[in-house]
Amino acid sequence: MQSFLDVLALSSDQLLHGLTITVVVSGVAVAAGIVLGALFGLALTYGSAVLAFPVRVIVDVVRGTPVLVLILACFYMPAGIGLSPGPLTAGALALTVFCASHIGETLRGALLAIPLAQTDAASAIGLTFAQTLGYVLVPQAIRQIAPNLVNTAVEIVKASSLLSAIGVGELLLTTQEIIGRSFKTMEFYALAGGIYLAINLLIATGGSWLERRYRLR
Amino acid sequence: MRAFLGVALSIAAMVTASFATGASAADRLETIKARGKILVGTGSTNPPWHFKDDQGNLVGYDVDMGHILAKAIFDDPTKVEYVIQSSDSRIPNVLTDKVDITCQFMTVTAGRAQQVNFTIPYYREGVGLLLLKNGKYKNYDDLKAAGSAATVSVLQNVYAEEMVHQALPQAKVDQYDSVDLMYQALNSNRADAAATDMSSAKWFVLQKPDQYSEGGYGWNPQTYSCAVKKGDLEFLHFVDIAFREAMSGVDFPAFAASFKKWFGEEPPVPKVGFPGEMR
Amino acid sequence: MGYALDFAAVLRGLDQLLWGLALGLIMGLAGLAVGSAIGIVAALAHVFGPQPARTVVRLYVGLIRNVPILVLALFAFFALPQFGIQFSNITTFAAVLAVYAGAYLTESFRAAMITVPQGILDAGRSIGLTGSGVALWVVLPIALRNALPSVGNNFISLFKDTSIAAVIAVPELTFQARKINNESFRVIEVWLTASFLYVGTCALIALTLRRLEARFPKF
Repeated sequence: MQSFLDVLALSSDQLLHGLTITVVVSGVAVAAGIVLGALFGLALTYGSAVLAFPVRVIVDVVRGTPVLVLILACFYMPAGIGLSPGPLTAGALALTVFCASHIGETLRGALLAIPLAQTDAASAIGLTFAQTLGYVLVPQAIRQIAPNLVNTAVEIVKASSLLSAIGVGELLLTTQEIIGRSFKTMEFYALAGGIYLAINLLIATGGSWLERRYRLR
Repeated sequence: MRAFLGVALSIAAMVTASFATGASAADRLETIKARGKILVGTGSTNPPWHFKDDQGNLVGYDVDMGHILAKAIFDDPTKVEYVIQSSDSRIPNVLTDKVDITCQFMTVTAGRAQQVNFTIPYYREGVGLLLLKNGKYKNYDDLKAAGSAATVSVLQNVYAEEMVHQALPQAKVDQYDSVDLMYQALNSNRADAAATDMSSAKWFVLQKPDQYSEGGYGWNPQTYSCAVKKGDLEFLHFVDIAFREAMSGVDFPAFAASFKKWFGEEPPVPKVGFPGEMR
Repeated sequence: MGYALDFAAVLRGLDQLLWGLALGLIMGLAGLAVGSAIGIVAALAHVFGPQPARTVVRLYVGLIRNVPILVLALFAFFALPQFGIQFSNITTFAAVLAVYAGAYLTESFRAAMITVPQGILDAGRSIGLTGSGVALWVVLPIALRNALPSVGNNFISLFKDTSIAAVIAVPELTFQARKINNESFRVIEVWLTASFLYVGTCALIALTLRRLEARFPKF
């Protein structure tokens, strides 16, 4: 049998490709999740009942459902109405909705925690609601939820490993492909674990650097 | 609010646009031709059926069946896109038009035949014995003669012991939780043979001819076929013809090369004269 | 496009789904119980222990929290047998859950311990308790109560994580839903039902926890 290092040398391109997919799909899900999550958070906090209620239902259902079930549902349920998203599309969609629901809920909490007096003060100096939001509320809320954003990003990277179950060739499926032909089970699962660990430590380090940089002085 | 709505709508549009609409069951062959490639569902982690080689290319016997179909439809074996799926997804992906056909070491059962249409078989799997070339026993007959002195390692499942005893009634059966361990037991002489899929046993011998040999006896047969969606009868008929001609007609040389590559043996050459399958 | 909802196939499999749900709850509870024990010990070691113990705890928490539970489960299932550690798939997954939960619960208990007011610690010392006496008889009971909401949230996460056991063929709710999906192909009904069962159970757990918290006053 080949040694672990022989197999690793031969499969480094494949691993790199899998890693790229993991990073890109997680990055897309986090970016789209932040945008959608911001909309969710604003709708939950300031939206009329007609807007807030459906968002509330989405957010609660998504937060109460395991990510794997979300992924399988996004992959198969559209078939009921004649659509057939590919694994990557369905997976990215599931992770985005998952990310957005968590961010939406966190943002709502952060916005509600800002004293009402600030909103009153803002309207007293003649700011419109949009201006109040943009200049007063959102900047504070972002600082408030920054640690949560980092945690959510880590959770998304971890959850992206579940996409292997629907055939997305990300890091874990690539690892399983290499194990399938080399039988280096322990070594390659350990390597995959180490790579996930490295990505997430990078995210955490980057997050705390940003936090220090933008700390209120 | 208008801005929100705009953003939300454009996201919705993006998501919708990225949904590929699947082929309708109406005339799958025409849809495939219009698309310019056939979508074949298969796995990527099980040699010699479907796996990534050292260069990262998807290869294997299942994969070659996809090339045979692409050759039949487009006269170009490369006009095929493989959709990687887990074993659990074999039937759902056919039914939801994510693939035109699934070729993924799929055992034909009556239950499954109620959900999908099976093509003609392209392999008959069975259980075989993998032995060490320089081990105590050389083949199945030696093992059988050894009776209870022989130990066989097998992947753990409810029927594992019974399955081994069908062929080796007295052998001691050691069940292992993973495929690696089952082979390690053999390599370390804790077991005299490993009972595993015949195709895996042959694949191992092919990889390490100095180290392993195959016991020369297979049992517990099961038939492998590709599967298409119910209702795609015209397409099914086409696939059957393409497979039949690969296994017994003009495309035999390419098929035989593939068979030899993955299982280490030549398939029987079709006899000229009366068509054998009509016997 | 029309799609007529038909729950017959799902209802036929409702027994399996509910047993699967029960199995998930049992694995979640087992993971929580063992994970809490790990978490309490690790948190005590981190807050009151010597430097090497703190480092070990920090490594454990940092490692486990940053690796996907699926990778941990696959490692435990396929790689650990090579070291002679081998259990059934249900036991293996419950053990992985426990180790996973332990890392999160360490943080919960640690946070609860370090927020116990200094005054209470001083009070403990003044009645003659030693350092470890204060840790065990003063800080721990208060921390246990104060960590309750966080422990509850962890349990809900753990219960949801039991769905991942489906990948190593543990017949829990997601596994059963996938099976019904494959057999009946009522895609929308199956996943609506599975999601409903998960959401409903999570909501029930949350409600029960809130009741429980109300019965024990916070310090």
